[in-house]
Amino acid sequence: MADIDIVIEICGSAGEGTISAGEILSRHMSSLGFEIMSFDSYPSEIRGFGKCVAHSRISNQQILSPGKYTDILVVLNDSHSIPQLHAVRENGVVIYDSQPPAYHEEDKSIAGWMAPGMIAYGIPLHSLANKAAGSARGRNMVALGAMAALFGIDEEGFKTSIMKRYATKKQVVIDSNVNSFEEGYVWAKKNVQKLDHLTFSKVKLRKVTQNRIIINGNQAVAQAALDSGIKLFAGYPITPATKIMEIMGKELPKRGGIMLQTEDELSAIGNVIGAGFAGKRAMTATSGPGFTLMTEMTGLAVMAEVPAVVVNSQRGGPSTGLPTKTEQSDLSLVLAGGSGDSPRIVLAPSTVEECYESTCLAFYLAEKYQTLAVLLLDFFLSNSIRNIDEPSLPDKKMLSANISPSKTDLKDYRRFQLTESGISPRALPGTPLGMFVATGLEHNERGKPAYDSKTHLEMTEKRYRKLDGILKEVSPPTWDGPKANVDIGVISWGSTAASAHEAVLKARKVGVNAAFMSSMLLVPLNVDHFVKFSAACKTILVPELNYSGQFAAHLAQYLNRPIEKLNRITGLPMPSEDIFEKIMEIADTQKR
Amino acid sequence: MPKFDHYIIIGNGPAGNSAAEVLRMHDDQARVSIISDEGFPYYYRHMLCEFISGKKKEDALKVKPASDYKEKNIRMRLGQRVERIEPETKTLYLKHMEKVKFTRLILATGASPHVVPSLSRFEKHFSFMSKYSDALKVKPLLSPARKVAILGGDLVSLKFAKMLSAMKKEVTFFLYKDCFYPFELTADMASAIEKHFSGKKIKTFADIFPSRIESKGKAFEIETENGENLTVDIIFCFMGMRPNINFIQGSGIDTERGVLVDEHLKTNVSDIYACGDCAQIYNPELKNYWISVGWENAGIQGETAALNLLGESKVIKPSQKKILDVEGLKVNTSWWKEL
Amino acid sequence: MDHIERFYIDEKLADIKKDGFLNYRSKELPTWCPGCGYFGITQAIAKACNALSLPNENICVVSGIGCAGRYPIFMKAYGFHTLHGRSVPIASGIKLANEDLTVFAVGGDGDMLGIGGGHLPHIARKNIDITLFLFDNMIYGLTKGQSSATTPLGQKTNSHTKGNPDSPLKPISLALAYDASFVARGFAGDLDGMQDIFMKAIRHKGFSFVHLITPCVTFDKVNTWDVMRNGYHPIHESHDVTDRIAAMRLAEDQRFFLGVFYQDEKRPSYQEYLRQIHSA
Repeated sequence: MADIDIVIEICGSAGEGTISAGEILSRHMSSLGFEIMSFDSYPSEIRGFGKCVAHSRISNQQILSPGKYTDILVVLNDSHSIPQLHAVRENGVVIYDSQPPAYHEEDKSIAGWMAPGMIAYGIPLHSLANKAAGSARGRNMVALGAMAALFGIDEEGFKTSIMKRYATKKQVVIDSNVNSFEEGYVWAKKNVQKLDHLTFSKVKLRKVTQNRIIINGNQAVAQAALDSGIKLFAGYPITPATKIMEIMGKELPKRGGIMLQTEDELSAIGNVIGAGFAGKRAMTATSGPGFTLMTEMTGLAVMAEVPAVVVNSQRGGPSTGLPTKTEQSDLSLVLAGGSGDSPRIVLAPSTVEECYESTCLAFYLAEKYQTLAVLLLDFFLSNSIRNIDEPSLPDKKMLSANISPSKTDLKDYRRFQLTESGISPRALPGTPLGMFVATGLEHNERGKPAYDSKTHLEMTEKRYRKLDGILKEVSPPTWDGPKANVDIGVISWGSTAASAHEAVLKARKVGVNAAFMSSMLLVPLNVDHFVKFSAACKTILVPELNYSGQFAAHLAQYLNRPIEKLNRITGLPMPSEDIFEKIMEIADTQKR
Repeated sequence: MPKFDHYIIIGNGPAGNSAAEVLRMHDDQARVSIISDEGFPYYYRHMLCEFISGKKKEDALKVKPASDYKEKNIRMRLGQRVERIEPETKTLYLKHMEKVKFTRLILATGASPHVVPSLSRFEKHFSFMSKYSDALKVKPLLSPARKVAILGGDLVSLKFAKMLSAMKKEVTFFLYKDCFYPFELTADMASAIEKHFSGKKIKTFADIFPSRIESKGKAFEIETENGENLTVDIIFCFMGMRPNINFIQGSGIDTERGVLVDEHLKTNVSDIYACGDCAQIYNPELKNYWISVGWENAGIQGETAALNLLGESKVIKPSQKKILDVEGLKVNTSWWKEL
Repeated sequence: MDHIERFYIDEKLADIKKDGFLNYRSKELPTWCPGCGYFGITQAIAKACNALSLPNENICVVSGIGCAGRYPIFMKAYGFHTLHGRSVPIASGIKLANEDLTVFAVGGDGDMLGIGGGHLPHIARKNIDITLFLFDNMIYGLTKGQSSATTPLGQKTNSHTKGNPDSPLKPISLALAYDASFVARGFAGDLDGMQDIFMKAIRHKGFSFVHLITPCVTFDKVNTWDVMRNGYHPIHESHDVTDRIAAMRLAEDQRFFLGVFYQDEKRPSYQEYLRQIHSA
């Protein structure tokens, strides 16, 4: 029994069924018990005739990153696929249409660009699809069929997965897809001499015990919000967060909630704060440019002590930046954006599972601590598709977290009463005797504007005290590896943390004394753990997807030591391969 | 020359490579591409023997690194076969369904192993040693092989037989002196070879040829014309080379044994040149065509074709018969004495 | 003298108690300049609430920044003094979260038409059931007398000492163009008129836009109480409030009219509409 860990990319133009082929492949492999991590990308926000890439890493072992190198490139559109070739391994496999209806123009053919050493399987996708269903539309299915034949994937099971995918369609659609698959399968079995060694057929798989769901980061956030009892979602379309809005538009009304598409991000977060003030759970989702607009309002949520949950799925910046590329360069903005001393909660999930978990936490913490909670995702995490065990729903305590004023409190109600925890009992509109005015101005315990230095200090301290409580609510950072005498300690955050974790595990396998730390909760940061970790490590490496090393700079103030950085702004997720290389490089230097 | 010029060279051997270098040296604007149906980069063909014997590693075969082409901005299209030339539109049609336009073209497609008609029905049993891909196929077969037969009709086969003998293989050599390549063997030469081989314990058949060859399991059975039967593990065939011009036929470019060119290496079609082993060159003094052979000749011709393509008017002289250079193997007319 | 004053105040107090004004006033004293029209508006809102018997705890008053921004502090209700220009989205969020609440968005001309002007068309389109009180004094008062979006062309202000070069917005025309389902104008000097408009506006199921004209007694020496008192005319009873074109004609008239310009009672509010499409 062998292990397998391969990356398959299907590349075509929109309308060629690229993404659906990738989806079917992922779902089918997941149903067989493989781990999958998929990532669909479009180079431009407008699909049109644009390029689509369905990237899937499939393995029988744990996967934490999408994989940098492609083992199998399936070409549905030659010219779109040419740039993908650079990621194909030296001895990688390329499956392409050997009989397109016409000659490709010069330099527009994938075969014209293939490097020697790569293995090309020319499959007459076009003519086989025509033969199977009378149209070329089924080329994607022909390609899947050929893949199944070439890489030892069970034919019948695969067909069932295709039927499932098109179950809601007319029978003729189902048939033509299945027939196209069949045609590709049979042709490849008969005509292709296999030159590579990739096969799924001899792989040992874990037993599928639990119901596994296939979900991306945005879907996980949306599902968690629904499970957390969200009543209002207000948003303005922006890549890569729009999908969350679309899910809300579909699902929220079914649960008596409202999805409000607003005129801009100012209004989106305004509505969220309004709903929060009125005592209902609300959220908005945006990206860097939208979050930039929202920073005035995020400050208001902190100052007026109103719960608000804001998702920022980062893309390349600054300004409008790179709308469809992934980056982690909004960290500084989210940690410190806005005016004044403004304590907030920042959660940065690193996996799809954590997207769910952190969203539930965000709603709970924002409500209980009456403040802003920011969920920091990125383009990759938002669109990264994983098969995960069904997450556990938030419990009762998580679902109802507002601390209401007691009868005694209401006798002489002080909405912003100074307390040890920083939490002042919060009356919701509609409560007799609880009336107060919330304000973005500095105010006293009763909410009356007050600018004296004593009040400002007391109130600022009160707002900051909340962070102590929040820190205790969330499990401490992950520390994987030895607890002392570590040669290389890798600290990361967000989606890069998962890649970093994978790289550390790999480095340990080859004998490097490395350890890993990351924290889903970035603010408040569990500084003690990071300091202890730092003390245990000879070298600290912080990989992240930004140019300047924003998290490294943030950590430096606590760790007070030199930090090695690994920064990428390629628009792609951080390859664990790059982190691994960097770890080996550092290990090498340490030996000298 | 206008900037959008695209010079294409078909063939990645010494002729094609020297042509590409000269083109780039004299024109840094034009696009220069080399198309070759071989997947392996430009390699020393004469080292293939050392490669299969394990004396040379794969990397040692490479004449220059891939980076060299990148630096010179020469586009390599390896593993791509040109199926058709359309001179009217200056378009090449590639097997993988791509059209490539050229403004000027150099044919340097080289030559392929030739099998004499009397042996062609046994061709499927033969191994060849003319390309890297042949060597790749042969390499794993050779080390377990004990007995080897060589049907020898050229200079390379002699060298090869010697090498196998040194590898302690039991070699049987069928010498085809009547159709030797690139020239006919005299009786003197033939007997010198026989004598030499007997000293190396190479069994030589000089006038007796196989009449039947059959595969028996993994081995082959050879019956000779005089009824002798022998079993060998592998059979090599060296019968000289034939220009690779099949794909050119019907395009309007004149061919005979090779692509017919004048002493400037121009074909009958403007802007199309040919050089190296695939070319058949007219000599105005002899009033006849001749075929060039050999690595060094190919290089010189590539250079000449390139310069003429760029507007010069260089004349190629027939190579002297006294010194021959076959597949990197330099020999003079008394070569058999040095075997 | 003491005695007379005492008597006068007691009598006035009884009067005030009767119209319920104090039921909706907080203990905080307004910080507006003496003579400011906002006092009158505040009084009319309180009286309208009283007349409609709105429970205080079910009222949410949301304001932005500016002289009018302070308004929630002086009202006995839930209040949210938010950011400059952002009272509308926050008021909208409150209403969407709890439909039982009566929600007011309050702001001046700078707040609602300047920095926050972008929200107006959208709250109107969506017809979310809040009442917007635009306290229009045609000047930036809190920052001491700069031109606003409704300052008349050519009027000298502290930011335009040679005269305001920008044409003023016409709030009623805008609201009508934005398809607000309730559009009215009141004058800070006309308490009864305002109370009548406010009651209609609050009762209206959908977005109500109420334009309130008031002088800035401190920074505007042109548009004074006297000028205004003589410059406004009640809308004639014959006006059909369901006729948007007629309303637009009134809005574009040389004269300034007071009263309800337009009301579409048939149009469902945002939340009603959502209920309709999702139950279907």
